[in-house]
This record gives sequence, structure tokens and C-alpha cells, in this order.
Amino acid sequence: MEIKSILIANRGEIAVRVINTARMMGIATWVIKTAKEPNAYYLTQGDHIIDFTERTEEIAEFLDIEAIVKAIKDNNISAVHPGYGFLAESPVFAKRCAEEKIIYIGPSSEAIFKMGNKTIAKQLAREHKVPLLGGSKGNLASPEEAVKIANEIGYPVILKAASGGGGRGMRIVEEEKSIAKMFKMASSEAEKAFNDPDVFVEKYVRNPRHIEFQIFGDQHGNIIHLGERECSVQRKHQKLIEESPSAALDENLRKKMGEAAINIAKSVNYFSAGTVEFLLDDDMKFYFMEMNTRIQVEHPVTEMITGLDLIEWQIRIARGEKLPLKQSEVKINGWAFEFRINAEDVQSGFSPSLGIIEKISLPRSKNIRIDTGVVEGSRITPYFDSMVAKLIVHGETREKAILYSQNALKKLWIKGLKTTIPFCNAVLLNKNFRKGKYDTSFLTKEMTKHYHEGQDDEMLAAFFATYDFVNEVEKVETKEVDFDKGKNIAPWVLKKRLKSL
Amino acid sequence: MVRHNGKTQKDKFYACTPKGKNYEVVNPLGEKVKVKGKSLSVTIVNEPGNFTYLIYKKKKYQLEILEKNQNKYTVMINGVWYNFSIETPISYKRMKTLSKTQVLSRVEKITAPMPGKILDIMVEEGSQIKEGEALFILEAMKMQNEIVSNVSGKLGKINFRQNDNVMKDDIILEIERA
Amino acid sequence: MDIEGRNFKKFLDREKIFEEQNSQEVVEKQHARGKLSARERIHILFDEGSFEEIDAFVAPLGDDTGFGKMQRAYGDGVIIGHGKISNRLAFAYAQDFNVMGGSLGQIHARKIAKIQDMALKMGAPIIGLIDSGGARIQEGIASLAGYSSIFYRNVQASGVIPQVSVIMGPAAGGAVYSPSITDFVFMTNKTSYMFVTGPNVVKEVLNEDVTLEELGGAEVHSRKSGIANLMYEDEENTLFGVKKLLSYLPSNNLDNPPYIECIEDAKDNTRMKLRDIVPDDANKPYDVKEVIHLICDKGSFFEISELFAQNIVVGFGRLEGKTIGILANQPKVLAGTLDINSSMKGARFIRFCDSFNIPILTLEDVPGFLPGVDQEHNGIIRHGAKLLYAYADATVPRITVILRKSYGGAYCVMNSKNLGGDFNFAWPTAEIAVMGPEGAVAILYKRELAASDDPLKLKKELAAQYRNEIANPYVADEKGYIDEVIDPANTRKKLISAFEALENKHVNVPSRKHGNIPL
Repeated sequence: MEIKSILIANRGEIAVRVINTARMMGIATWVIKTAKEPNAYYLTQGDHIIDFTERTEEIAEFLDIEAIVKAIKDNNISAVHPGYGFLAESPVFAKRCAEEKIIYIGPSSEAIFKMGNKTIAKQLAREHKVPLLGGSKGNLASPEEAVKIANEIGYPVILKAASGGGGRGMRIVEEEKSIAKMFKMASSEAEKAFNDPDVFVEKYVRNPRHIEFQIFGDQHGNIIHLGERECSVQRKHQKLIEESPSAALDENLRKKMGEAAINIAKSVNYFSAGTVEFLLDDDMKFYFMEMNTRIQVEHPVTEMITGLDLIEWQIRIARGEKLPLKQSEVKINGWAFEFRINAEDVQSGFSPSLGIIEKISLPRSKNIRIDTGVVEGSRITPYFDSMVAKLIVHGETREKAILYSQNALKKLWIKGLKTTIPFCNAVLLNKNFRKGKYDTSFLTKEMTKHYHEGQDDEMLAAFFATYDFVNEVEKVETKEVDFDKGKNIAPWVLKKRLKSL
Repeated sequence: MVRHNGKTQKDKFYACTPKGKNYEVVNPLGEKVKVKGKSLSVTIVNEPGNFTYLIYKKKKYQLEILEKNQNKYTVMINGVWYNFSIETPISYKRMKTLSKTQVLSRVEKITAPMPGKILDIMVEEGSQIKEGEALFILEAMKMQNEIVSNVSGKLGKINFRQNDNVMKDDIILEIERA
Repeated sequence: MDIEGRNFKKFLDREKIFEEQNSQEVVEKQHARGKLSARERIHILFDEGSFEEIDAFVAPLGDDTGFGKMQRAYGDGVIIGHGKISNRLAFAYAQDFNVMGGSLGQIHARKIAKIQDMALKMGAPIIGLIDSGGARIQEGIASLAGYSSIFYRNVQASGVIPQVSVIMGPAAGGAVYSPSITDFVFMTNKTSYMFVTGPNVVKEVLNEDVTLEELGGAEVHSRKSGIANLMYEDEENTLFGVKKLLSYLPSNNLDNPPYIECIEDAKDNTRMKLRDIVPDDANKPYDVKEVIHLICDKGSFFEISELFAQNIVVGFGRLEGKTIGILANQPKVLAGTLDINSSMKGARFIRFCDSFNIPILTLEDVPGFLPGVDQEHNGIIRHGAKLLYAYADATVPRITVILRKSYGGAYCVMNSKNLGGDFNFAWPTAEIAVMGPEGAVAILYKRELAASDDPLKLKKELAAQYRNEIANPYVADEKGYIDEVIDPANTRKKLISAFEALENKHVNVPSRKHGNIPL
């Protein structure tokens, strides 16, 4: 199968990321222009634009399957890359593409469906002897059922949206009292976000590490993994900093977890890029959580330590090619971190900080990579996520990678927005993080303050504010106001003015 | 005839933080700047259309005035922001005097921290609210945010209804302190 | 002759009493209330050493009846004089709360009237620093007469010299009317109050408990009544605010406004942002102040009545150093509709600008008047007409930029071309029509919509067609109702050259005593 052109059914940095690889492979790219950000940077990078700005449909542009399919057919585009989010894990979309003979750069619709439905995914894991957490066997019919199961497996429990991801539609419940309310909230959030109100309940492991394995399969039955990523620095289930490899794993555990991941993938004859997420508890016991059937935001850390281009692999596999490497040929080199630079105010509960990027200056070096969908003048709108850029830093060892990261963050300057940079600085200075001893409770337990401030910062800011204030007072009080110039009136005007008195 | 008792000092100011910390700044525009009694040697680089920064002890600090309104400032330095009110010795004294004599306003106004849509209001007008109790859910950036009360008291007026769109700083409801 | 000699004795004695009258002890009393003394205020307001006091030694009249205690003090509780503010002549009076609570007696009033007369003769701004309990009961009718004479002069000076009132303590009863006639009222938060009848009377008559702050505090008058145009947190900043305001205003109605040199950076491309402030979705709000800041000289926008009727934004700004008055609909608040309060706020601001030769820029994004029984019954017709009248009556250069919506009657009101607007520009995002698409389609295609299987879809299609064929700036442009459709990023440049072209504008108005504005 030949891929001459790709429609990227996504926006922002991931659109730019896919375009870069496609360009390198000599494939033409199409991007979708929306009314919400008609001047976005990714639009300047694609070869062709599909204009969705005049659409009047209620459904959001990047979720409108039929409109996207029609655009692909109308423009005779060979393939579609869904990126992450939006339609990236929609079995319906993948199926519609197959029906219309559009190459879907991702797994089969069936694999997406099975892994997307957590109940089926758990069933498959159980069948393939992958360790699991206790919980409901399927979706919950009522709050009462939630109470019953929770009482069986013991609190705390977690309520999750059946078709969820990214923290939406999730609620941790500590006691019976609040479970009914939480059930309602999780369900309504799930319905809004995924158009599916179903939720299920399972045992909640306190303070686990979040470890995920990047796996890759081809359409010829080969499946390998590309090592793990640790994503335990999270806030309300939103990942903020990721690294690869994980400081928690030794070779033995890595092998065991990798095999489990491959087994899960095999159960659905998986091909393309996928991620198998595990929880790892204090006793180094791991539990299967879910499989994400798409490219992940944090895929660059895996690319940094393996030297591979995962998007290229995705495209090759979609064309029907075989995996270029065997498991034994996968080499891990050094350590990599990814920092999500979001437009959020870390000093007031990570609330969104909307605005215009007036000025941005990025660090440049061989071991630094920046994936971004913005340039100077770009706007961070409330319509999409608040990610400004991803800073990815590589080092020969974890210690060196941390040091390089600290230097890189110092050189990353953004004017016009509040960002998560001070948060990243704070994490990198934390003793336990530096030792690699942290889990998903890191933010709430370890970080009493979610940002780092330098010793002299407040004093210098105080001075600068005073300086500006006094400057302004002086401006008004002194000669800068030119009253005499106001008295220079043309005789024409003065005469008329006097006359009309 | 010039007669006055008031002495204003045009070269001494206080940058006060909301938490009551204050920085005495002497001669901010002059050559010999002093902050908290110590002399400060900085260079401010402020070109329009570019980053503003200052150089202190050979290090660069990125600066940005996020907001200013009268004598209230929000200044961001290396990504971290601080609030200050700039006071003169006289207004500083007034601030201290008034904070002693005036009590907190009885009504606490709960505002929208960001623009968004109100998905649900969990409380009713006239009900008793405990500190930390959830008041309403605001959907913004595709996330639902539970807004909790920072005071205890009786709920007064609710200015919005479910599914209303609100802007940042809109007063959603008012709570009379207990 | 030696200064200690006989001829100077009386002179020196008086000086001594005067010093005592203004002793540190007295000053401390004010400080304890969080306020400054009248003298300190004057000192802060005027340029160092420039203030010259007049009538410091007048004494109150001696004809008190003995009813109630009279305090005798030189100056009778008010300081009057002249000096320089930012190097320009200005007149001022400052009431001294320490002398009989700043109450207004006959001499007190005579002094204020004297300085008002001087300011008017000299054509210079007058600033009143008010800290007064009201009329002096002991002096009865004389003090009421005093008030009347002040009001009369306020009205005579109105539109001739800028008059500013700064409320720095109580202003009760008759004391409130002078400020309300003057052009601008400043209040200091937490220590100033204005009311016609105080909390005690309210309690007596209506049995309602209300605090000073709730009845007539700075917050209330800035937000609810709109009486206070500017509110500051302390007295020094309040006085600094006065200076800042004056830096935009001419000394009198024959002068032009002052000038502040503007240094523009050619590389600076932040004004390009103007292109994407107005959202594509016609129903999405945005902050029009962003637009104002990007059009004016950097940091030059000085907003008036910020907290009152926030659906209209008014204030002064500068274009290449020259003062302009700006009125803008605020889509962020009530969708930018015009209502009673915003009409009054806008109208009063226009009247001020017109009186003092300040050109007016209107930034328009108005979906119409605010509908509602409440608005109609309270006379939106009359109040809306004020705005209309004020615009049509203004002879200063007037330019309108239509940013987005401009519908119906509100189009006419907001300085339309045929209301005498000198230039009308429109952004490409402008929608000019009798009504919005939804409304128009519903009326014109009522039958078709009722018959349709999918009325929503049809409505959307028709609305799009309506936008395309009627509600856009190009139709108005081709018919000559708009002078030019301009690139938002180019707005500032356009406005600078347009105002320059209008600099010597003059309109011959028919001779009359005065028009009859629908008050």
C-alpha cells in the first residue's frame, strides 16, 4: 500500500511533529483549519489546508468523523494520522476509514475498541495472566452497585469512565459517604467528554508509580517493546514530567513487565504504536491499568533514548512494512526527561493562563529537543489544551540529564503567559525526585510549594515594581507633560472658538 | 506664604506583599538604590518589543509586569509572580492604621477564577456554607473544576444559573461571613 | 527694622496662633483616622513649594447666637490658594476637618467662592479637596446661602475650566451637590463618604440599618451610583490620580489639551495583535480594553468610571502625544448592549470632551439596547436619547471604528456618519444592519422556516446568506456610509492621520441660549 499524502486530524505540536516526519519521507501533508484558531502555527507547516472555518455543525471539528472522512475522499488523500486525543482512540473512525479504503495510521478498529473498553481489556488481561486490580466486572449500573463492590474490595476505590483517559471522568473515593455524589460527577463528566456515561469501579492503589511500556507491532504478527516511561509526576492524573527509563525498574522487572505488555498487545493482534500502562506498588508488584492505542504525548523520551522515529515507524507499519528491529536489537542509550510547558498558573492551582505568546526564546543544544505548536504571536485559547511546548532533554546518565534540564529551563523564556516552568524547576530540585524515589503522590506529598523561587526573586520583583511606579509618577509630575504645546492654537481655530462662545 | 506640616519624602517607598511582608526601597530611580537598607546594584534592560530583564550579580532575571492598577502591581520574575502594593511612608502608615480599625468585609464574593461554563450549582441561596464546601462546578479548558468556599457563613445571592457562561472575575455568589 | 521689633509683634503673634492651630497634635488626629491634614494634602497635590495661600487669617463672623458651641479659628476651616500642578497654574480649596468638622459657614463659603471666581477669571483648573460634615448648623441660613453661592459658581464655570472634586472624608447633605456638578469626582476608599442623608436619618425614618460604607462609601459610589469617577486606596494615590487626570486636560475651553511625547519603536509589532482580538464567533465576548490599549500610545489609557456601567468603557488616551476621549462598547459585559447607566455614562463623558476640545474616538461593538421591562419603565428612551444628543451636539472631531456588531438604533446612536461623525471606519469583522442575522431571518423567512423539515439548518444557512449579503461592512462601504474598511493592525495609523486632518475642524452652530438636552 502506498501513502502519498496524509491528513492530520489534529492540531498543535503533534500536527507539526507528524508533518516533520512526513516531509522527511516525501509524503504530502494536509491539515485542518478551524475557526477557533485560524492563524495557528501548524497550518503554516502543512502542505495543504482543509478549511473547516465556515462549518456550522455543533460537533467539534476534530471530532466530526463524517466531515473528516469526506474531506479525505474529496481531496483524494491516502492516509490519516489521528495524533493523540480527539479521534485517536475512536474505533468508529478507524472503521469508517477502513470502509472508505483510507489508510488509518494506527491499530485496527477492533483493537481500539477492545482496549478502549476497559471491561473487555481487563477480561483479556485476565485471560493472558497479566496481573490486575480488583473491582467491578463491568460497568456500574447504579450508585448502589458501586457501594456494594466498594465495600467488598475495601476503600479507597477509584471510579473511572469506561471510555476515558487523561484523568477526565475519574474520581477517587475515600469513604462510603461520598461515593454516590462522586458517581454522579464522574458519570456526567464522562458523558460530556466521551459521549459515554458508563463508569466502573476498582481498587485504588495508594501512591503507586505510573510505569508505561511503549510497544510496537506490525501487520505480520511481530510485537516488540521499546522500554518503559515513568510518568509519576502527575497532578490530578495529568502528566507533567515524564522520563525514560524509570529509576524504579531493574533488568529483571523490565523484562517481566515488557513481556506482560507484549502479551496484552498480542491478545488483540495489535499493530502500530501503543502504550501499556501499569501501576507499580511499593513491593514492586505491577498491575495492568489500560492500553492506549495511539501515539502518546510523551513519546519523545522513548525516541531520545532509542534514537528511533516512532511516527516514521507508524507510517511504515501502516504501509504494511515489517518491524525494522527485533526485540534484541532495541538499544537503550542514556536517560531522557520530558517537561510539559503548559500555560498554567502554578501559583494558583494550575489554573489556565490564557493569552498571547508575545515573545519566546528556546534553548538550543544537541541534547535538547523542543516540540511545539506555537510561535511568537500565537494565542493560547480556551478551546484546546494549554500545552505551549514540550522540552525534552537527554543525558548520558539520569544525574546529567537533570543538570542539563535545569540549564535548559533557565534559558527557556516566554513573555505573555504564566507557565509551568517554575514547577519544573521545583521538581528538579526536590531531593527524592533527584534520587528517583517518587510516585504518583509526589505532587501532593513531596511538594509543599508547587513552584521554585530564587533567593532574590521577590526582592528584585519588589524593586522593579517600585521602580516602575515611581517612574510613572515622575512622568506625570515633571516636564514630560507639555502644557505649552496645547496652547499653540492655529489662529483659524482660535477665532472660530471665540466666535462661538 | 507656604505653610505645611506634612513632610513627604520622594525617595522612600515600601513594596508590600499581601502577606504583610514589605521591602523598603530607597531612591529607586537614582544611582544609589537601597532595598531593605542594603545597596542594590542592578541593570535594567527594557527595550520595547523584547524581553525585559535585569542583571543582578551577573545573573539575568526575566521580568514582566503582568498587571498594574494604580499602585497595585503583579510582577513576574523568572516565571514566578508576586503581588505588591507600592506605598509611600504616609500611605504605609495609613494602611497600618486602617488595618487596625477596620474589620474584614462581611460579605465574601466568590468569583470565577477563569472563564468557563457553570455546569452545576450545588448550593442554594440562604443555606449555611462550611469552609471547604463545594459551591459550584465550572467547566473550563475541557476540565470540570470544583470551586470550594474559602469561608464559612450564610449564602447570599447567586448571580448565575446552571449552564451560564461566565468570564474571569465574575462574581458568582456571595457568602456572608459567620 | 528688626523683625522682632514692635511693628511686627502683632504679625508674629498671629503666626504663632496659626502654628498652634496646625500643630503636629492636630495633624496626628487626622492621621489616626487614616487621613491626612488639609495642609498635607495641598502640599502633595501641588508642585514643591509652589502653593500660595490666600485668606489664611480670615476669622469666622462673630454674630453667632450662642446656640451650640462655635470654635473660632483662623481660616474658618478651609484653605484656599493657587499654585502649580505639573508646572501649570491651578486653583484649589481644601476643607479642614479639624475645624468644626470642616463644616461650611459663611466665611468658609465665601472663601471657596473667592477661589472659584479667581479660577474662572484666570482660566485654570480648580480642585476641591472635600472633608466636611456639611452645613454649619450654628450659622443657619448663612451657611445654606453659602452653599448656593458655591453651586452657582460651579455651574458658571462648568465647561469653561475643568473642575475636580476630591472626596477625602465625609461629604454630607448640601456638600454633595457641588461635587456632583463638577466634571470629575475622586474618592479615597474606606475613608470617604457621600450621602444626602446619613445612616442615622435612614435609621430614624425607615428603620433600616446601614453602615456609612454601605450607604455612601467609595465602593458604592464607584460601582452602583456612578457618582465617583475614580477611586483610590489611599490619599496620596488619589491626589496623584488628580494630577494624572489633569495631564490630559487643557486649562480652559479655549486651550487645546496638553501633549506628552510618544516614542514608538518601529520594530514593535504588538499592534498586529489587533487582528485577532475580535473572535470569529460573533457571539463570543472579548475585552475591548485590549483594543484600546493597542490603539493608544503605550500605557496612556486612563479609564474613567471603570467600575460603573461596565458595558461601556470611557476614558482618555493619547495618539502620538495628543489627548483623545475614547468611548467603547464592552462586549465582555452584558454583550456590550446600551442600557440606562451606560448611556448616561457615555453622554456625560462626551459632553466633557466637547466642552474642552478633546476629540472623540468611538469603538463600536453593540448588538443594540438592553431589552427589558425594567429598562423601558425607567426611561431607556430618554436616557438613550442623552447619548444620541451628546454625540450629535459635539463639534469636536469625532471618529468611529466599527469593530464588530452595529445593529439597529444602537448603530445610529454610536456616532454614525449621519449623526455628524467625521470619519467612520470599519474592521472586516463588522456587521452593520438593522438587526442581527438570527432576528432578521426569523422575520423575513418566518413561513419558510415553519415549513422546513430542518428549521435549524435552514436558519443557519439563511443567517450565513444574510451576513454575506447584508450584514457586512462592504455593503455600507459601497453605499458610502462607511469611509473605509481598514485592516485592524493599521487602525492606529489611520486614526492618527484622520485626527490630524480634523485638527482644525470647526462647525457653525446656530445661535441659541442652549439646546434642550433630554435630562
